[in-house]
Amino acid sequence: MDTLIKALLACVIGLVVGLWATVLSLRNARGFDAATIGPWTVSEKAGAVDADPYTRAAMERSGEIPLALGEGLQFIARADDSGAALNPRCAYLVGRATPPTRYWTLSLVDPQGFPVENPTRRYGFRSSEILRGADGGFVIAVSANAHAGNWLPIGSNGRFALALRLYDSPLGATAGAIEKDAMPRIVRESCS
Amino acid sequence: MVDVLMVVLGAAMVAALVHIAAILIIPLAATRDAFARLSPLGPVNATIALEQPGPQARLLPYRDPAVASAFCRFDLAGGPLRVKAPADGSGFVSLSFHTRRGGIFYAITDKAATHGVLEALVVTEKQLRALEAKDDEDTPVQDLRVVSTAEEGFVMMRALSEEPSLYPRAEAQARALACANEAIPP
Repeated sequence: MDTLIKALLACVIGLVVGLWATVLSLRNARGFDAATIGPWTVSEKAGAVDADPYTRAAMERSGEIPLALGEGLQFIARADDSGAALNPRCAYLVGRATPPTRYWTLSLVDPQGFPVENPTRRYGFRSSEILRGADGGFVIAVSANAHAGNWLPIGSNGRFALALRLYDSPLGATAGAIEKDAMPRIVRESCS
Repeated sequence: MVDVLMVVLGAAMVAALVHIAAILIIPLAATRDAFARLSPLGPVNATIALEQPGPQARLLPYRDPAVASAFCRFDLAGGPLRVKAPADGSGFVSLSFHTRRGGIFYAITDKAATHGVLEALVVTEKQLRALEAKDDEDTPVQDLRVVSTAEEGFVMMRALSEEPSLYPRAEAQARALACANEAIPP
C-alpha cells in the first residue's frame, strides 16, 4: 500500500470516528462533573463558568438554561432503582421523600427534555400541591393508565425520563454527597 | 498486517484529535445555545416572557412546567444594568445572571429581597472601579453590585406557581422583571 493512501485512509476513518464519538458523548450528555445517586444524576456545575468541556458542549447543543446553584438543583433519572431503563409500558411508584428543600417539583420529560403530551395535560407535580400520606410522605404513580392519587401520565410509547428539581435547597454544591435513601425511590410495579 | 495496524493507529490518533477539537469548538461556535435562541425574541433590555413549558414549547429544553419565566438580554456597553423584580415572599422567585457564553455569574432568590423587591446592578469590572471612585465614604453603598465577566448576557427570572391555577400569577410576576441601562453618575 502506498503511504499516501494509508495516511489518507487513517485521516478519513479518524474524522468519521472522532465526530461519531462526539455526537455520542453529547447525546448521553453527562460531563465529568455529574454525580450519580442511585438512578438520579445531577450536574452541580451545569451553569458554572468553570464547567467541564463536555458539560459546556452539551449545554450549547441542547440550549438548556440550567439552574444556578443558588437557585436549586435538577436531578434526572432515566432508569428505575433496579437500574433498568424507564419503560413506557411499565408502571412506577415514585416516593416517598426528597432531600431538604423549600419546594420541589417532579416532572416527566422526553429524551430531549420536553414534557410529553397527554390527555390530562399533567406534566408534573409540585411539593405544594401533592397529596401526602399521614406521615408526610408522598407517592406519585407514573404510568400510562389512570391511577388513583398523584398520577403522572406517560403520554407516549417513546423513552422518557423523570426530572426532580429542588428549589432553594440548602444542599447546593454538596449535592453529590446526598445519600441514596434521601432521594425519591423509583420502583417498577408492573408491565404490560 | 503491519500496514493495517499503522492505519488503525493513525485513525485512532486522528479520531482523538477530532473529538477533542470538536468538544472544545462547539461552545465557541454557539449557534444553538440559549443566548442564540433567546436573541431573536426581542431587543436588548426588553423583558420577554417565555411560553408556558409544555409539549409544544420547543425552544428551550428542561424547563419546569411549574415555573413561569421571563428574561432580558443586556449589553453593558451602554452602561451598568439595573435589574428589578418583584418578590413579595409568597412563593419561590429567583434571578440568575448569565453571560452570553452561558456561564452563570450570579443568582439570587426571593429570600434576598428587601421590601418585596429583588434589585441588582450589573456592572463590568471597569464600571465597578468607576462607581467605586465616586462612592461617598460616609454613606454605605445601597446597591447590590454584580460584576459580569462579559459585556453581553441575559438575566433570567423564574417564578414558581404553587398550583396549576396559580400559574398566571407567577407569569405576571415574571413579566414584571425590569432591566435598564443607567449612566455612571458624573
